[in-house]
Amino acid sequence: MSEAEPIITLRGVNKTFTRGKEKLEVLNDLDLDIPKGSFEALMGPSGSGKTTLLNLIAGLDRPTKGKIDVAGKSISDLGDSELSRWRSQHIGFIFQHFNLIPVLTALENVELPLLLTKLPGPERKKRAATALRVVGLEDRMGHRPAQLSGGQEQRVGIARAIVHDPTILVADEPTGELDRHSADEILGLLTKLNQEFEKTILMVTHDPAAAERATIIRKLDKGQLV
Amino acid sequence: MNLATLAIKNIRRNRLRTVLTVLGVAVAILSFVLLRTVLDAWNTGAEHAAQDRLATWHKVTFVMPLPKRYFEDVRQVPGVKKATYINWFGAKHPTRDREFFANMAVDHETFFDVYDDMVVPPAELAAWKQDRQGAIIGASLAKQFGWKVGDEVTLNGTIYAGEWKFRISGIYTAARRSVDQAQFVFHWDYMNESLPQGRKDQIGWITTSIDDAAKGGSIGTAIDKAFDEREIQTQTMSERALNSQFIGAASAILTALDIVSVVILVIMMLILGNTIAMGVRERTREYGVLLALGFRPGHIVSFVIGESLTVGFLGGLVGLGLSYPVVQQGMGRWLEENMGSWFPYFRIPALVSVGALVIAVMLGLVAALIPAWRASKLDAVEALRRLG
Repeated sequence: MSEAEPIITLRGVNKTFTRGKEKLEVLNDLDLDIPKGSFEALMGPSGSGKTTLLNLIAGLDRPTKGKIDVAGKSISDLGDSELSRWRSQHIGFIFQHFNLIPVLTALENVELPLLLTKLPGPERKKRAATALRVVGLEDRMGHRPAQLSGGQEQRVGIARAIVHDPTILVADEPTGELDRHSADEILGLLTKLNQEFEKTILMVTHDPAAAERATIIRKLDKGQLV
Repeated sequence: MNLATLAIKNIRRNRLRTVLTVLGVAVAILSFVLLRTVLDAWNTGAEHAAQDRLATWHKVTFVMPLPKRYFEDVRQVPGVKKATYINWFGAKHPTRDREFFANMAVDHETFFDVYDDMVVPPAELAAWKQDRQGAIIGASLAKQFGWKVGDEVTLNGTIYAGEWKFRISGIYTAARRSVDQAQFVFHWDYMNESLPQGRKDQIGWITTSIDDAAKGGSIGTAIDKAFDEREIQTQTMSERALNSQFIGAASAILTALDIVSVVILVIMMLILGNTIAMGVRERTREYGVLLALGFRPGHIVSFVIGESLTVGFLGGLVGLGLSYPVVQQGMGRWLEENMGSWFPYFRIPALVSVGALVIAVMLGLVAALIPAWRASKLDAVEALRRLG
């Protein structure tokens, strides 16, 4: 796996936040290659820069300095609109708090990313249903988030992340809100997506048990890989 | 589902808040429609007043009488087609004396020739002319007091003291919006013959209809000029100018109503803006998620504005829906029947209805501008972190 060509390349990446007069350097001259098809866990203490690194790779944020290439595209050079469009095509997000829209059903939540495509309504619904089937929730399509368990909500979140067939899945503490059993189910699902659907997965976690499911574990401390 | 239904689904998120906001907008629109209708009804008298009728009265004041012989002189002025004379009688219903209605002693031969916008069935008009104690009343007044043709009624005089007995000879209807349908007219002769010698043969004012409405000014001047050298001078004005002058006297009230109607809309906008801003604040993380998924700030702005426009439109519709039964059918009917002298025609103008709906939607748009602008400035990372 590690010999595969890198799908994500970071060179000399710095990220500095300014809080009032104080400058906080979160990432410091970071170089990183993530191979295509890998399942990587990113670990480290709080404030080490894990989520910031994830946000940079997902195109949610821009580096203060350095260059980021994802799937052959230099995303650090893209404008806001281009970056939004690129994200909608290449990145699938899995959040710690699931972040489903409470007024929408599971099917509608999964359909959300497809609203940005030109797919007709019936085709969008068909694809959303397929994604829910992949995560084992075909019998919960009409349920609202409040009618689902935490584990089911996160599975809907995963279905939403894969429905548009992105190149990369980024997961920020995907099991942080779940009990062990539900967490194992979610991790099993991520493994399946990595192995069967060949998705490149980058997961931030504090949980060593979750990290064990990854093919590569990287540790970050004070803005640098250790 | 599409982007529009996603925006509309947000409205159902907090149903109680949405319902209360829609009702708030509806009440504001109802109040706006009511005030604009009052203003319109008030102006109706002037706008729809006859342009070809002039009124001539004592130059000093309306309450001082003119000699009856002036009537014949006015008729001779070139351009005058018909003329009639009238006295304000000012009597009251013996038991319901707080219910005002106009009652006047009129020349039975000429009155309905000049006031041809008060329509009396020919048989009733003929009967009235034959009966010195006969009275013609408006349809609203008949309904107000339950009077019908043939009834004998008594009024208590105030300017002309005593109990005055009448028989209802006929009921008129209005052929023009400005016509007060709550008037009571009777034979001038009946009043005059009962007066002491010193008060006889005096009239309140003379109304003339003229050949050419465009020459109202010059004919009025000619009438007044005819009495320049006489013991009592006159002042002549068109009916429309007279009504406008009356409205002008109430201009402070009308201006206040005008301002209040605008203030109500501003309050409505602030309520709606606050509700939308609360919704945006509560959904910051969701907007962060949408931005992360690839939705652009323009989409978020559309959701916020779409939600506000929909609430404004729904509030406008409910407000208008309430306005017709409340303002037009309820208050309007009551006002026309009981205060016909001030509001002879109290109906919601079509322009006010359309305007209220357009204003509700436009205010929905304006109310959303600041929340939408703030939502458009959201940073996805900040939004996800803030509440996550």
